Amino acid sequence: MFVETGEMVILTAKTIVSAIRGPYPYGEELVWQFLFVLKLSWFPLTISTFALNLGAPGLQAAGVLSLFGALDRLGGFFIVTAVRWIGPLVTAVVVAGVAGTAITADLGARKIREELDALQVLGVDPIKNLVVPRFLALMIVTSLLDIFAIVFGLTAGIAAELLYHQSLGGFFATLFSNATVTDIWASVLMCTMFGAIIAIVCSYKGMSASGGAAGVGRAVNQAVVIALVAVFFFQFVVTSILLATNPDLQAIR
Amino acid sequence: MIGWLDVPRNWLDSFGEIVRFGAQVAGQVYSGRVFKFFGESLRQAGILIFGSALIIWAFVFIIGLQCGLQGAYFNRSVGAPSLAGLFSAYCGLREALPYAFGYILSAKVGTGIVAEIGAMRISDEIDALEVMGIQPVTFLAATRLLGAWIAIPFLYLVGIGIVYLAAYLAVVKQVGDVSSGGYLLIFWMYQSPPDVVFSLIKGMVMATAIVLVGCYYGYTASGGPVGVGTATAQSMVVNIILVHIIGMLGTIVFWGSNPRAPIGG
Repeated sequence: MFVETGEMVILTAKTIVSAIRGPYPYGEELVWQFLFVLKLSWFPLTISTFALNLGAPGLQAAGVLSLFGALDRLGGFFIVTAVRWIGPLVTAVVVAGVAGTAITADLGARKIREELDALQVLGVDPIKNLVVPRFLALMIVTSLLDIFAIVFGLTAGIAAELLYHQSLGGFFATLFSNATVTDIWASVLMCTMFGAIIAIVCSYKGMSASGGAAGVGRAVNQAVVIALVAVFFFQFVVTSILLATNPDLQAIR
Repeated sequence: MIGWLDVPRNWLDSFGEIVRFGAQVAGQVYSGRVFKFFGESLRQAGILIFGSALIIWAFVFIIGLQCGLQGAYFNRSVGAPSLAGLFSAYCGLREALPYAFGYILSAKVGTGIVAEIGAMRISDEIDALEVMGIQPVTFLAATRLLGAWIAIPFLYLVGIGIVYLAAYLAVVKQVGDVSSGGYLLIFWMYQSPPDVVFSLIKGMVMATAIVLVGCYYGYTASGGPVGVGTATAQSMVVNIILVHIIGMLGTIVFWGSNPRAPIGG
């Protein structure tokens, strides 16, 4: 386990160095990967964020708030859940589960068929041509998908308010008075880091797949588990630091 | 290159197939035909416990920490830091635990099953089973489903304890706005035994769906070593959507009309 962590850190360093240092042959592959991840993820992401936000913060919180007769506070609550927590979380789960697994399966298949070795023999650097575009594409696409996750999360909040026959004015009032730029930026930047983690873990596991038919499947299995645990732990650490260092996020509005 | 609508179309396509396959597998379990291979079921349950329990509990622990952290800061922001227990009880037991359980189960157990059965399919072991006169659906899929039904309720109940511990650590020890006694008073007040049963039902439905999806994709894998990887990746798409839909429907059914909170009359 420690060996693997170390090798993933080395792969991260190599990826960043070869992304910055020229030449830059990965432009086309970057666009291709970006579209690939986007086409794979948009449908699961839409359904997942809507369902999760309607159930967890929407109906549960609205149930309690309606007992207090304070359903308009749901807007403020959605800043905590949809923007700060569930948006990045669901984006990470969907990208890791949908795009990360596809990346591992793709790279693992190339590794098993010895295409990666063939590339190296041809003088093509697999890190520069395969890992770097995936790394950059996942970073960009995860942070952009986070915005979609927030939008659909807030839509679910509106649906929850409507299910309780509540006017939306109060929801939007508390939503916008509690929303801060720090929260949005933190959410988006967190997702960028999630994309980086997922890309590195999944690329590493794919490129180190071995053992024939069972090997690729096992690589996908391990990659998605490691990616999920790493992302969730990272989110916990970032949220702790963010909330402890920004007292203005905790003001009552 | 895939098109924009390929994912929803594939999902709808395979969903019907999965339901048919799942009904077949569940039928094998209910009709008792699986008990011919009861030893294999126990072995699968053992694999589940020894192979996946630790990672499931570690993941659930992280979710519990997040629950406590978000709840503590949210309650501070509305000026009621002593009510952090309310958030942890609702978030931990009712929502976050089933979802976290579903995520890690689909990642660890679901894809694991696809990789395992898929490798058997690719190396023609399933055909060999059939030749030997053993029904592969019963021997491979139904035993796994029964094994999951044996082991997962206990994994889940221990997971509840772990979430509680993690939320306690985050609220009382890390943020520290509320004393231990004050936290626990509110925390235990805002939950009841039926909530645990409902949460367990939610988790078990997710687990059943995940095992069936895993078995389906493994059983129908094709196209060499690459095919196993692709099938594993596809099973995650279906699993993620199913987990979220089951979670939402569970919330609507169990707590939609009655929040079961000790407030008012």
